[in-house]
Amino acid sequence: MQPVVQFDNVTKSYGKHVAVENLNLSIEAGKFVTLLGPSGCGKSTSLRMLGGFETPNSGHILLGGKDVTRVPPNKRNVNIVFQDYALFPHMSVAKNIAFGLELKGLDNQHIHRRVNELLELVQLQDYAKRLPAELSGGQRQRVALMRALAPDPEVLLLDEPLSALDAKLRQQMQIELKSIQEKTGKTFMFVTHDQEEALTMSDTIVVMNKGKIEQMGDPNTLYGRPGSVFVANFIGETNLLRSTVVGTEGDTTALNWNGITIKAAQGGLAPKTGDHLYVVLRPEAIHCSAEEPTSGNRIKGKVRQRVFKGNHTSLSVEVADGAMLNALVHPADVAQLNGEEIWVGWKPETTTVIPDRHAHN
Amino acid sequence: MRNMISDAPRTTLTAFYWAFLLYLLLPLTLMMAMSFKDANFVAFPIGDWTLDWYAKVMADKQFLEACLYSVMIAAASTLAATTLGTWIAMLIVAEGIKGQVIIFALACLPAVVPGMISAISLRIFISTIDMPTGTAAIILGHTVHAVPFVVVMALTRLRSMPGNLVDAARDLGADSVVAFFRITLPYLGPALVGGMIFCVLLSIDDFVRTFFLGGYRPTLPMLIFAKVQGGMSPEINAMATLVLVVTAAVGLYAEYLTRRARTR
Repeated sequence: MQPVVQFDNVTKSYGKHVAVENLNLSIEAGKFVTLLGPSGCGKSTSLRMLGGFETPNSGHILLGGKDVTRVPPNKRNVNIVFQDYALFPHMSVAKNIAFGLELKGLDNQHIHRRVNELLELVQLQDYAKRLPAELSGGQRQRVALMRALAPDPEVLLLDEPLSALDAKLRQQMQIELKSIQEKTGKTFMFVTHDQEEALTMSDTIVVMNKGKIEQMGDPNTLYGRPGSVFVANFIGETNLLRSTVVGTEGDTTALNWNGITIKAAQGGLAPKTGDHLYVVLRPEAIHCSAEEPTSGNRIKGKVRQRVFKGNHTSLSVEVADGAMLNALVHPADVAQLNGEEIWVGWKPETTTVIPDRHAHN
Repeated sequence: MRNMISDAPRTTLTAFYWAFLLYLLLPLTLMMAMSFKDANFVAFPIGDWTLDWYAKVMADKQFLEACLYSVMIAAASTLAATTLGTWIAMLIVAEGIKGQVIIFALACLPAVVPGMISAISLRIFISTIDMPTGTAAIILGHTVHAVPFVVVMALTRLRSMPGNLVDAARDLGADSVVAFFRITLPYLGPALVGGMIFCVLLSIDDFVRTFFLGGYRPTLPMLIFAKVQGGMSPEINAMATLVLVVTAAVGLYAEYLTRRARTR
């Protein structure tokens, strides 16, 4: 199937600063794709280039197979939901949504029907005549979304649209956005720096860093099998254990971490003895107990810090001189861990390994 | 005693306020009072009261013609100044244009140049380009004078406009012309209406420029000036009172509009 959006070797720089470097990206129709990364990683620039508000220095952008690299924003079939919504303050909710339809030259009856249909989708029928200033943040967000969806764009672009909302509303909107995307079957291209947002909504996450794609994949893969230290750190919390390979055995690898021998799954790498690797150990994969576990990796350690977080307790455990592990403990298991000395254990298959790019092998 | 001392600054301030109000309103009140005097000369005591002077003013063809002429000039110069001023303001906030500070300074210059200097230079200018004195020259002079006020008001509003409103319009299919007329102009609306009323008042009030650039047809201030030279009479007071009431009403409405624009 032909991808709906294609970035073909796209580079954009401002003076000496390279915002996006040789970006190659294909997006399948009907998917919820998220560009995720810290500020300045090039995600917003990529979105604005697809919207037509920035022109790449080199490379091509294809929309539905057609080259739109130099097509102005009003002539391309994509619409943006802006970060601060950018609703027209002097127009009612209905007029805002109708704006794009009017410019398409549709007749009034058709426009009226479409506007009502969209208002119904987000249950704002009773607000059609209100001005944006008379709406709450969440309502404005929905109007902005419907205004952008109204002209039936090939791709809907969302530029951090949830960042102005408070935490509760943001979670609610995440679910609503995802359900609207599924109902309409549109391709959504979402930009955010919030990894939780990305994990919640996306079919595909594109992690960007310094103008390049760091890793691309579904949320499960990115969380479970991060391909780089950057991705492992950016998505979720993690323990990164810098270790040296001491031997391999089947598809598990034995490593030395701070003088402790641990085992890890190879994760598609073929490590050799002496290689430096990072073991990615998620806090929730660690099992803490008072007794020594019978199998898997197990280390005795001292609890240095306990942080109560409601649905879990976060423990910082010192397992060797200065080497700390962060673990999540379920409320039911906290009681038995009241002593200072505990055992931490995890199954080798719950971890993955990342090559250490900076090491001299 | 202590109270009197600590209250002193406040008391002084209040006293000054009332003194100022008196100073501001007394001459106007006297002028208005005299317009009701049933006699041919302006002096106390008023004695008998009458509305005859108003009747005379309203029947005065010269006065009505001068009013009409002033309004016509005001309308034309306001239209020109608003168009020019908005355009200059857009230029100043536009991206990628150099020397925006200089454009702004030049746009504001006519507001601070003394009226007399401006009038003389305009007179020299129109005779250089062989433009006759009269209506067109007056409109030109008033427009130049009014542009800075429109620029400043439009600029204030434009600077408070979210930058991506126009982007959003473009994104939804509007070219830059449609985006200007459907988004930017309505957004500027309240500020422009305020600015236009200001232009009208400046134009109606202007004497010096009109004096230098005008022909034989008198505008309202020129007519009143001519009549005063023939000696004060309560008729002039009635005329002035009418002008005062109308312009004050328009001015207050302009203030109300700009206030609303700022709070919205």
